[in-house]
Amino acid sequence: MSPARNPVIDCAGRSTRDINRDIRASLGPGRRVKVRNPAARHNLGVALLSPGAVGFEGSVGYYCGGMNDGATVTVNGSAGWGVAEGMLSGTVEVAGNAGNGAAASIRGGLVVVKGDCAARAGVSMKGGLLLIGGDAGYMTAFMMQRGTIVIVGNAGHALADSMYEGVVYVGGEIESLGNDAVVKAPSRSDRQAIAAALEEHHIPVPKRLKKVVSGRKLWNFEHAELETWRAAL
Amino acid sequence: MCGIAGYLDKRTASAPVGNVLLGMLEALGKRGPDSAGLALMGPTPDSREVCWICLPEDRDLESAVDVALDLVKSVARVRDHRVSGGMVRLEIARQCDVVEFCRRVEDPRHGLEIVSLGKNLELVKQVGSPRNLAHALDVRRFKGSHGIGHTRLSTESKVDLSHSQPFWARGVPDLATVHNGHITNYHRLRRIYEQKGVRFFTENDSEVIGVYLADQMSAGRSLEEAMVRSLQDLDGSFTYLVATPDLLGYARDPFALKPLITVETDGYVAIANEEVAIRAALGTDGVAHEPSGNVHRIWSRARQAALA
Repeated sequence: MSPARNPVIDCAGRSTRDINRDIRASLGPGRRVKVRNPAARHNLGVALLSPGAVGFEGSVGYYCGGMNDGATVTVNGSAGWGVAEGMLSGTVEVAGNAGNGAAASIRGGLVVVKGDCAARAGVSMKGGLLLIGGDAGYMTAFMMQRGTIVIVGNAGHALADSMYEGVVYVGGEIESLGNDAVVKAPSRSDRQAIAAALEEHHIPVPKRLKKVVSGRKLWNFEHAELETWRAAL
Repeated sequence: MCGIAGYLDKRTASAPVGNVLLGMLEALGKRGPDSAGLALMGPTPDSREVCWICLPEDRDLESAVDVALDLVKSVARVRDHRVSGGMVRLEIARQCDVVEFCRRVEDPRHGLEIVSLGKNLELVKQVGSPRNLAHALDVRRFKGSHGIGHTRLSTESKVDLSHSQPFWARGVPDLATVHNGHITNYHRLRRIYEQKGVRFFTENDSEVIGVYLADQMSAGRSLEEAMVRSLQDLDGSFTYLVATPDLLGYARDPFALKPLITVETDGYVAIANEEVAIRAALGTDGVAHEPSGNVHRIWSRARQAALA
């Protein structure tokens, strides 16, 4: 018997391992898996390695969509710490807010948080795109290495601290920049690309955008930059 | 780790807060099963105060209770007393100030520790998981407006009743705290407070938070002002909650190192380390939100009533 095309998985009373095994077995190109009663439990929908859609009908806990490689995960609620952590490809979309470390260390794919992100969103990002519809907290984009983050609302203190590469766009106010983070004016093509990405996910496009990039002063140690290093370490 | 939870009912002062907070703690129990406790704000039927006292473990219960009663009767009228899980709960009319009351009752020769004092505050705790707390004490039926709870994973100090949380902010009636994290300048702060004459009863770094708040308030600051200053003066990782008869609040360290989730609806405010606790106890209402670091917030029951 082939698995149902649009299976429904109920989390109530079942172990995380069983639920994830069911999600993986049900997933495949063109499939839409519904997951009921996630009740903010941790580690749901991790390491999904094939295409297909998984929809959580409620909040999820830590690491939902972590290590994702190709699946489209939607969360109709909020997400806890480390949503989509270590993702390679695919999409993770959160209708509500996300906790600390959203999209931490992702190498590719798309993470959309319609609401706010707490501290350290996009920490150590190595590729991919993170769209934040609301505000982003302390040390967003800390030690980012590649990829793009868009914050439609305000950014907290120490934005993009010690970033190597990559780009952060901010629609609202920046509470403070981190070490070696530099504000630049975005180009017309930057603005067009960001607007297109936001519109595709029904996020209002901010009137103005600031672009934050690495000043590259921390790439190599220079004695002349001693004060910068002192501040960064 | 440790699990912390807070709940405030905006609509009634006779909400099942004990049951709600126990439900939250049970869902958080995996964050630490060493001990569990609740600080609950109940109604004030008259002018009496409630005092919970932790009895010494090295003597038999009956004689320990007798000693406690004798000591309390030297500084207060005792209207009622009840023994409950290693502690005794007394209803009293105090005849001296709080400092003198504590000094007399906590005479080092007898090994008693005042766990809480206040008109509304009921503070119960015990070694073991939150589930044990439900068995030992009748908190499931407790009605009140709000409260805070804790389930402990001990990392630096011993596991016994005295080291369990919540902690009363010694010296300030009706103020209790719970904490998740580590206060890394604990020893420095403790030394300063001990030089001021404060007595510490545990080696648990979380105890210093209540001492800090009480010290700040004795200098004329409001609880909220003290919480704001604590963000700079306490070092390390911390999310802590406070409860007074009017307030429920949180404060979180500048690096946002310990988790903190809030859900606010028209009916209630719920706070926990993990959303899973709020969903387990209260269902799917409301949007979970995690604040960033270096933040505090308080909810006032009086303000809620004024808005309603």
